[in-house]
Amino acid sequence: MLRVLLLSLLLAAPARADVAEVVDTHVLPGYDAFATATAALDRAAQGGCDADVLRPAYHAAFDAWMGVQHLHLGPAEEAGRALAIAFWPDPKGLGWRAQRALLAGDPAALAPGAFADQSVAARGLTGLERLLWPATALPADPCPLIRATAADLARMAAEIRAGWDGFAAALLEPGGPGNSRYLTQAEARQALLTQLVTGLEHLADQRLGRPLGTFERPFPDRAEARAAGRSLRNVTLALRALRGMAMALAAPAEAPQTRAALDRAVALAEGLDDPVFAGVADPQGRLKVEILQQATRAARAAALAEIAPRLGVGLGFNALDGD
Amino acid sequence: MATRRAFLAGLAAAALPRMTWADAGSPAWLAAGKAEGGHVLHGLSLAGDSVFSLPLPARGHAAAAHPVRPLAVAFARRPGTFALVLDCARGHVTHRLTPPPGRQFNGHGAFSADGTLLMTSEVVAESSAGRIGLWETSGFTRVGEWDSGGIGPHDLKRLPDGRIVVANGGIATDPQDRSKLNLDTMRPNLAFLSDRGAVEDLVELPPDLHRNSIRHLALLPDGVAFAMQWEGDPAEPVPLLGLWRNGAVRLCEPDPAEMFTMQGYAGSIAAVAGKVAISSPRGGAVMVFAADGRPLATHRRADICGLAPLDGDFIASDGGGGLWRVAEALHPLRAAPLAWDNHIVPV
Repeated sequence: MLRVLLLSLLLAAPARADVAEVVDTHVLPGYDAFATATAALDRAAQGGCDADVLRPAYHAAFDAWMGVQHLHLGPAEEAGRALAIAFWPDPKGLGWRAQRALLAGDPAALAPGAFADQSVAARGLTGLERLLWPATALPADPCPLIRATAADLARMAAEIRAGWDGFAAALLEPGGPGNSRYLTQAEARQALLTQLVTGLEHLADQRLGRPLGTFERPFPDRAEARAAGRSLRNVTLALRALRGMAMALAAPAEAPQTRAALDRAVALAEGLDDPVFAGVADPQGRLKVEILQQATRAARAAALAEIAPRLGVGLGFNALDGD
Repeated sequence: MATRRAFLAGLAAAALPRMTWADAGSPAWLAAGKAEGGHVLHGLSLAGDSVFSLPLPARGHAAAAHPVRPLAVAFARRPGTFALVLDCARGHVTHRLTPPPGRQFNGHGAFSADGTLLMTSEVVAESSAGRIGLWETSGFTRVGEWDSGGIGPHDLKRLPDGRIVVANGGIATDPQDRSKLNLDTMRPNLAFLSDRGAVEDLVELPPDLHRNSIRHLALLPDGVAFAMQWEGDPAEPVPLLGLWRNGAVRLCEPDPAEMFTMQGYAGSIAAVAGKVAISSPRGGAVMVFAADGRPLATHRRADICGLAPLDGDFIASDGGGGLWRVAEALHPLRAAPLAWDNHIVPV
């Protein structure tokens, strides 16, 4: 009886969560949704450029992107796709500069093949936001550029999803012939853990940290997707996605503190009534965003303390050294 | 083997011809790493096999290989309180170098061409003012020091003409905890010192790149390649590779699609005929550039850092124990059960 129990425990242990679970329940459905949403946005844009009509499709595409934006590995990293899909932050204003040139320049640059070669800063969701919510009157009819950008987004989303068929195999079959990315299962696990941890870091340092600035110098106008009014929505969706990934990487029962910390961060974001973090400029509103930032960092620490040892991996030996 | 070693030791003691690297298995490279049992320094063959391994008391950063004798000097991580001279043939520590009071080793060192002088990058602990420590190599005693020409020197290399080039990273750090104290005002430079230690030339970056810490160096046939680490806004794309030739610097931008791949951080650099490579363990990538600075390729691999020339290509090492040949793609050479540290040093 004891032997049977031990055997069943042994069998149960590796099967619960992990790389395959993340790929099947998080990555692939996430990219499916992004491909579907960007295809719909593309169809809508080819049908007309009325901003009021396109904005819901834009939001749906951005929502879908927030489900996978933290995955900096594989096809999203190739050919600068992730960079082009959401070029933010852009402190030097590279995107708008490049877009102005496209608006005023030769329309041949907007043809599908040529547009894929345009600056990563000018394209994607960030580029489209500037056209659908222009800060000032646009120098030319934005319609051709809107259409080119929407088509380009749909193309990249489809390429990423298609590329994952092969890349998933590299993650799931480490050490296979020709697989120079992942030699062992530990490396595949480490790669996913790194996405989770750096995703939380990026959320705290950039999405929240940029508008927060310092107490003396907050920068509410640096919030992500501020013109589209979705800075907080991005944070909420990213936190939900990261929670989903964490719970696929380690079952909730095995990472209770991570689960609790992520639940808390999600709840704080959902309860925040500050869609573009304008509140960072006043002490009361600022405190709420800071609390969310701390909760995000606590979730990162919990994931490292709880999930990393369960997976038997840590962050990179050299990546952390800094010398 | 023990008998042969003892015999050779006897020969050395009798001041007959000294041992060479052949007596240590003719390693092509030295590389430090962390294994299950602790930190080690390996000598590696061209195929990536270990020809010797020696225990290290703590995590190493880089090593310097004596040009003739099978001696390696392993430097502790910053703030470095010791360096070890290792006899790689006999397998033991021959000297433990301690910087003078108020000085700290800063990660790298280089031998003179004839091997009689060891030069170590150091800082004055209180101010991070750069020094090049000088050690004679028969008994490894301190014989003097030079001004490095800047703050926080890290890598240094000996040029074929005998001059020394120093990467003064520009960062003043807290002597205890390595925290950075002067990011707003830092001004890294590339310093060229005569073989007597006179600062002959200082090359600085444009003012908007003053937060780009120059840290690692590789010699070109006609100049010096340097790798940088960006201490400014991570959202600003900046070049991480510079090429110095005849007093002029070319800063090398990556392919625009890869502008943030390295995450503002180049950890190692190596050059071969026609190509220069930099690595980023943070970004998990090696980026290869042409000798004229054009980006050629990006190869991804988690925690990759160590880089050295390998027969017209490069060898790279990673924190997962992998050794790679960096050609048109990454080709696995060997995988070992240890985490390779930041650098691979050619012997």
